[in-house]
Amino acid sequence: MKPSFSPRAFALPLALGVLCLFFYLREPLFLGPRNLTQLLVEFALTGTLALGMFLILLPGQIDLSVGSGVGLVGGIAAVLVFHHGWPAPAALGAGLGAALVLWLLMGALIVRQRIPAFIITLGGLLVFKGLFWLVIRNSTVPVVAGGGENLYSRLTTGYLPAAVGLTLTALVLAGLAFAQGRDRAARRALGLAVPPIWGTILRGAAVALAAFGLVLLCNRFRGVPVTLLVLAGAAGLVHFLTRHTPFGRHLYAIGGNEEAAALSGIPVSRVLIGAYGLMGVAVALTGFMTTAYAGASTTTVGDLMELDAIAACVIGGTALRGGRGSVGGVLCGALIMAVLLSGMTLLAVEPELKFIARGIVLALAVWLDVRFGGEARG
Amino acid sequence: MHPVVAARGLTKRFPGVVALRGVDFDLRAGEIHALCGENGAGKSTLIKLLSGIHPHGSYEGELRIDGQPAAFRSVRDAEAAGLAVITQELALVDGLSVAENLFLGRAPRRGWRIDWPALYRRAADLLWEFGLDVDPETPVGRLGIGQKQLVEIARAMDKRSRVLVLDEPTAALAAREVGVLQKHLRRLRAGGTACIYISHRLEEVRALADRVTVLRDGATVATLGRAEAEPAVIIRQMVGRELTEQFPRPAAAVERRGEPLLAVRGLRVAPPAGSRVRLAEVSLTVHSGEVLGIGGLMGAGRTELLLHLFAGWGRRRAGEVTLGGRPYAEPAPDRSIARGLVLATEDRRRLGLIPGEGITFNLSLASLGRFTRWGGRLDRPAEEQAAAGLFQSLRIRAPGLATPVRGLSGGNQQKVVLGKALLTEPAVVLLDEPTRGIDVGARVEVYQLIQRLTAAGCGVVLVSSDLPELMGMSDRILMLAGGRPGGEFARAAFDPERLLAAALQAAPAVPHPLPG
Repeated sequence: MKPSFSPRAFALPLALGVLCLFFYLREPLFLGPRNLTQLLVEFALTGTLALGMFLILLPGQIDLSVGSGVGLVGGIAAVLVFHHGWPAPAALGAGLGAALVLWLLMGALIVRQRIPAFIITLGGLLVFKGLFWLVIRNSTVPVVAGGGENLYSRLTTGYLPAAVGLTLTALVLAGLAFAQGRDRAARRALGLAVPPIWGTILRGAAVALAAFGLVLLCNRFRGVPVTLLVLAGAAGLVHFLTRHTPFGRHLYAIGGNEEAAALSGIPVSRVLIGAYGLMGVAVALTGFMTTAYAGASTTTVGDLMELDAIAACVIGGTALRGGRGSVGGVLCGALIMAVLLSGMTLLAVEPELKFIARGIVLALAVWLDVRFGGEARG
Repeated sequence: MHPVVAARGLTKRFPGVVALRGVDFDLRAGEIHALCGENGAGKSTLIKLLSGIHPHGSYEGELRIDGQPAAFRSVRDAEAAGLAVITQELALVDGLSVAENLFLGRAPRRGWRIDWPALYRRAADLLWEFGLDVDPETPVGRLGIGQKQLVEIARAMDKRSRVLVLDEPTAALAAREVGVLQKHLRRLRAGGTACIYISHRLEEVRALADRVTVLRDGATVATLGRAEAEPAVIIRQMVGRELTEQFPRPAAAVERRGEPLLAVRGLRVAPPAGSRVRLAEVSLTVHSGEVLGIGGLMGAGRTELLLHLFAGWGRRRAGEVTLGGRPYAEPAPDRSIARGLVLATEDRRRLGLIPGEGITFNLSLASLGRFTRWGGRLDRPAEEQAAAGLFQSLRIRAPGLATPVRGLSGGNQQKVVLGKALLTEPAVVLLDEPTRGIDVGARVEVYQLIQRLTAAGCGVVLVSSDLPELMGMSDRILMLAGGRPGGEFARAAFDPERLLAAALQAAPAVPHPLPG
């Protein structure tokens, strides 16, 4: 729960740097603005889903159905737009509603009927896949009729104007600085230890540098992609939920010791069902973005994304047993997965080898968690 | 003749801490040698050196077994030399039967297969010999803590080790099981086995030990012979000061005014799957400022009664519970806490704490609503301030508020569990064995805490297996026997023999000596 000075905190950026360097040396285009922007879009897809998965893994649950769910929810919205002529916002709203209902239902089955999450969501993987193919009738359904544009398609083709991106970043950073200042003032007023100011400033400077660097980089191409904005919003929300609300404390507590959490008066069932509901929202967002990124809903949208999401979480230090992990780690893990996949695509690695590489990375991440997870705790 | 174990000048350093500073210690064949000291005095470290957990070379000083220098590199080396250690963390496999656990890794074989008939026959013999009334085919997971511990002790005794190290073996045992254990330790002593016995229960030490070595701050303070080892003397050596008043509760009767805070009438509860304890005809009342003690043997239903009142354990078949004047039909932890009823559990590790999280996290876990502000935001400075207050008033000893509770000593973990309960601002506090496995100093602090609670108008229900503690801290005592009331006693009528007699009777529907 406490941010601590762990080797993992350095290992992740280091691994990321090594990966990027490797792909850059093999293909200098890797770090070009166009490829980077595309990479960031893919990062946003994996990252948003991984943030939902984080909320599921924290209390020691798991969800294998999200990949199929991504396809299904994107498909529902695409069919409503293309075949039924719904306006895009209404179709997206309907897809979101469907995802919410499905995931609350799964959560209720898991929690109230005490069926292991592994089984229910494995069933969900198959059921959603079948529903998905029924919904799109095994065909390709574009997200917008006749080559036009709508809210749905703009999810991955939209970019923020350069000035808007910079202003938004500045506003968010100012908000964070204000929150930090208020927290320090409150601590001082209550006579608590206040962390040294230079540490806070140093960390703030690093965050600001990274944020502005990212925005300026995006601005060299077309601007900050809308998907990245969605991811940033999701990350901010999940970070706030897990670190600054009772709900987040409850997730950590349930993952750390479910029986003790229940005896502390935590409504374990409600909290878990809530986590599944939020997972549904993450699935819907990812489903819309992934389908829009493909341009149309086809039978393969979302395939294996559940594994990428789990891998991203575990690489980022989330314990599969539950009770440990952070948003920063999850984002790092998702970025590593995105770099790996996009780099291999750029180098035209055969799909067979890509599967094998993904599998090895997943196994490696879990092995690292099992081997070194205990030490990185606390 | 050489002592079986002889330690000279043992010094063990950890980063930043010296756990042992030149400890001398002798263990003779055929003696029970008690090791006493507050938590953190170095008992556990000494045991870990003797048993090879801290290997040779990681400490200074000399260790001799039968006069020969010993250099244990691992637990296996120590076991080979005849040392068996039984720690508080039990080394049993819950999913296997009692018999399988008793012969774990050394099951009788016929060829390459396990000889099941022989296994169960030998297990039954061993259990009978040990006086343990358990079916050898029962999965160990179904047993209570006390019975599990007895199974593990039986296993160690069956290995015929020459040196038996028992780390608080009776912490979870009721009087009858303590008696069984002592009987067997005496028998083993007569057979020449040497035994190191760590316990916080000084009466037991007095009854059992031939010699007592007291550790304080990592050094040997004294080794006392049987005649000198009075509890008061041991306590004085342990804390380095006289504890004039072990039980701070005044003998004067508490005036019972107004409505009871908690009243139970004719409660009957059927057990959930996996438990055999059922409650029947249980009635009790707790008034403001009063401590109701609940005693009884293992399996008498004390913990289950508390769990039912707080968390809805089992299914209520009959009876009425009134909390704060209003009926309380379907108890659940969140509802209980909201209505001012809180439980500090006996099984700290399993039910009380989130081990990987820090002290603040654990303290505030049951009271997060109080620190929640607009928009569902946690006011972390306010939370930390409350935690810091408890940290000081409960005298929790830890490097800081963020220290994971997993690494704290038993006494400090107990203080965190109590602090968590206090932070909910309860009206009625249910304490289940609040001093189990904690040192004398921390124990007195718990008693003082009970005093403060009742002085502030709380009602306290105190479940304890320690009769002196129960009598010293309660205003009234309800004894349970087999899930039924065995008798209720006012303070003037406290008498160990009568209390024990009430705990032993399993007869139904006993008329109460006092109107409860």
